[in-house]
Amino acid sequence: MDTLLGIAGEGFVVLAADAQVARSILLYKNNMDKIAHLADNKALACAGPQSDCVSFTEYISKNMALYELNNDVKLTTKAAATFIRGELAKALRKGPFQTQLLMGGVDKREAGKDEASLFWLDYLGTLQKVPYGAHGYGAAFTLSVMDREYVKGLSLDEALGIIDNCIKELHTRFLIAQKNFVIKVVTAEGIKVVRGPPTPDLGAAGASAEAAAVPVQG
Amino acid sequence: MASPMCVGTSILDTGARKAPAAGPAEAQAGVPGMFGLPNVANPAAFCSANLGCGYGTDHAQDIKFAKGTTTLAFKFQGGIIVSVDSRSTMGPYIASGTVKKVIEINPYLLGTMAGGAADCSFWERNLGIQCRMYELRNKERISVAAASKLLSNTMSQYRGYGLSMGTMVAGWDKTGPQLYYCDDDGTRLHGNLFSVGSGSTYAYGVLDTHYKYDMTDEEAIELGKRAIYHATHRDAYSGSINNVYIVKPTGWVKVHAGDVNDMHYKLAEEKAAIAASRAGAEEKAP
Amino acid sequence: MARRYDSSTTTFSPEGRLHQVEYAIEAINNAGTCVGILAKDGIIMAAERKVVSKLLAPSKTSEKTYRLYENASCVVAGLTADANLLVNHARVSAQRYLYQYGEQMPLEQLVKEVCNYKQAYTQFGGLRPFGVSFLFTGWDEHHGFQLYHSDPSGNYGGWKATAIGANNQAGKALLKTDYVEESSVDECLKLAVKVLNKTMDSTTPSPEKMEFTTITRVNGKIVHKILTDEESDKILKEVAAETATQGDV
Repeated sequence: MDTLLGIAGEGFVVLAADAQVARSILLYKNNMDKIAHLADNKALACAGPQSDCVSFTEYISKNMALYELNNDVKLTTKAAATFIRGELAKALRKGPFQTQLLMGGVDKREAGKDEASLFWLDYLGTLQKVPYGAHGYGAAFTLSVMDREYVKGLSLDEALGIIDNCIKELHTRFLIAQKNFVIKVVTAEGIKVVRGPPTPDLGAAGASAEAAAVPVQG
Repeated sequence: MASPMCVGTSILDTGARKAPAAGPAEAQAGVPGMFGLPNVANPAAFCSANLGCGYGTDHAQDIKFAKGTTTLAFKFQGGIIVSVDSRSTMGPYIASGTVKKVIEINPYLLGTMAGGAADCSFWERNLGIQCRMYELRNKERISVAAASKLLSNTMSQYRGYGLSMGTMVAGWDKTGPQLYYCDDDGTRLHGNLFSVGSGSTYAYGVLDTHYKYDMTDEEAIELGKRAIYHATHRDAYSGSINNVYIVKPTGWVKVHAGDVNDMHYKLAEEKAAIAASRAGAEEKAP
Repeated sequence: MARRYDSSTTTFSPEGRLHQVEYAIEAINNAGTCVGILAKDGIIMAAERKVVSKLLAPSKTSEKTYRLYENASCVVAGLTADANLLVNHARVSAQRYLYQYGEQMPLEQLVKEVCNYKQAYTQFGGLRPFGVSFLFTGWDEHHGFQLYHSDPSGNYGGWKATAIGANNQAGKALLKTDYVEESSVDECLKLAVKVLNKTMDSTTPSPEKMEFTTITRVNGKIVHKILTDEESDKILKEVAAETATQGDV
C-alpha cells in the first residue's frame, strides 16, 4: 500500500514517502512521517506495517548511535546500509521485520566532492545501490517515469521535478488515494524537509501542542 | 509436557486453570501478575493455530471471545472526548450489555477496550501498574506518549501469541491533551481522532462529517454521543449503554452514561419534529 | 611473602600493582627491537631479527611482521607464540567487520579489539597475560595513516614514531631528536636503520638481521611491502655511507 520514492544526484539524495497509515479498508492517519533521520546526513524511508517500521528504524538508529559512541567515528552510508541488510537477513529466519526500505546518505569525501548514495533494501535482506528507486505498488507506476526522466548528474530541482511527476502519476492512475507525500533532501550538511507531514486542522493552540509533542517518527 | 491443554466448555475455564497439575506448570499457573500461557512446547504456535479471535473465526472453538465494539476518542479545543458503547457479543449472542469499555488507568489516563475484553482488561490493568511504578520511581506523572509506548511494547512482545486488542490511550500531560492508538500487532499512532471496533466505520462517518476543533465541551460531548449512537444503530455487535468521558487538564471526568435505545427514540422525535416544521413551512410558503 | 602478589595476575599488591602484568611488560624490553615511523606518504616498520643459531633455517619472508587485513599490518615484540593467537583474533575481527559493514575496519577499532582481549587476561581467573607488544600500522579513511603501540596490560596509544623491545629507550631518544614530520617513506626507512643500529649494538648491520615493511597508498589502494634482502641491503649501505661522511666532517 505504501509508496516510497528516491533519487540520488551529485551531493544530494531526494526521498519521498506517502503519509498514510492504513489497515484493511480503513485509513488511520494521513500525516505520518515515514522518513526517519538516522544521522544528520542519512535518512531511511520505511514502508510496511507501522509496528515493524517503527521498531526496526528505532533499532537501527539506536545501534548507529551506539557505534558512534563506541568508536568516535560515524558509519558511512554504505557501511550503515550493509549493517541494515545484515540485521534484516538475521531477522528473516526468526520473525522477520516486514519492511521495505530506501536509504539515502551523503558522505563527505577528501576531494571535497560529497558522495551521495541511495540504497534499495527489502525484508529478505536484498541490498542494491541504485541511482533511483521505488517501493510498493507505486513503483509500478513511477519507475518508468524515473527511467524516462533521470539523467546522470541531474540538479536538485530536476530531481524534485521528477518526484513531483511521479506523485502526479500516482494521483492520476493509482486506485489507492495517497493524498499526502513527505519529501526530504539529504545533503552532507543535513536533512532538509521539502514537504513535511501536514498538520491536522486544529486551532492555533492545538497545532502548537501537536508540533511540540510529535517526534520525527510518530 | 506433551499433554494437551484441557479446555472446558465454560468461558471461565481458561487454559491455565485446567492444565493437568504437574510440578512447575501448576506453580506457574498461579503466579500473580504472570501472564498464563498454554502448557505446551510452543505456546505462540499453539495459540495462533487453535485460538482464532477474528470475526467469525471462533465459532467452532470452545473458547469464544467476547468482542464486538464501537469506541471512539478525539481531541478538540477543550480536551479529549472518549465515547464508547457497552455491548459484548459471543458470536450472535449478546454476552453483556454493561461492559465498562473505558478503562480508568489512573486519574489522568484513560484506555479503551476493543477486541478481546479479557486482553484489554488484563493489559490495561498491567499498564496501570507500570504507570504507577513510573510515578514512584521518577516522582512525576508519566506522559501519554510514554504510557502508550509501554502498552505497545507489551503488544510487540506478545506479537503472534493471538492477543486481540485495539486500544486508544488518552490523557493530559505536560504537553497538553494527547491521544494514541495502540493495537495487538504493535502499531502505535499519534493522532487527534480515532475510532476502533466493528462499528468504527459508522462512527468515523459521523465524526469526520461533523468534527470541528473549535467545538465547545457540550458540542463535543454531543458529537461523541451521536457517533456512538449511529454506530450502534448500524452495527449489530454494538449497543446498550453509551459511556462518555472528557479529559481535562485536571484529569478525566465521566460526563454521560445513557442507553442508546432511549437516544434512538429521542433523536427520532427530534427528526420528526424537524420534518414536521419543514412540512409546515412548505405549506405556508406557497 | 613477597611472592604472595606475584603469582596471580588478578590480584593487586598492597602498593596497588599487578606484578605479573609488569613482568610481562618487562619481558618485552628484552625482545628484538621494533620501530614504527609515520611518513607523509605512508608508514614504515622495522624489526630486528634475532639470529639464534646458524643452523636455524631463516624464515621465508617475514618473521615479525604480520599482514592483518587490506589496510593494516603489525610488528611484534615478545612471545611469538602468544602473538600468533592475538594476530589470529585480529584477522578474524577485521573480516567479521568487513562482513557486517561491507567496508574495511577502521584501524583504531581493530587495535581496541585486540587490547580488550589482552586486558581480559589481566583480570580474569589466574591466567597469565599475553607477553606481547605490538606496533599496528595502517590506513583508514577516517584518520589516514596511523601508528599504534599496545602492551600486555591492554593499554594502547597513537604515535608519530616509536620503538619497542630491547633498548627502546635509546631508540626513542634518537627518534625524538631525528624525527622530522612530513618526511618521505625513504627518509623514514633510513631513520629506522639508524635507530636499529643504535639499539642492536651489533658490529655489522646486515639485512638478515632486520626486516622492513612499508605501507603506502597508490591510486586509492593500500600497498603493503616487505623489503627484500637486496632492498634492505641498499638502505643499510646508504645509511652507512651517510654516517661515514658525517664522521669525516
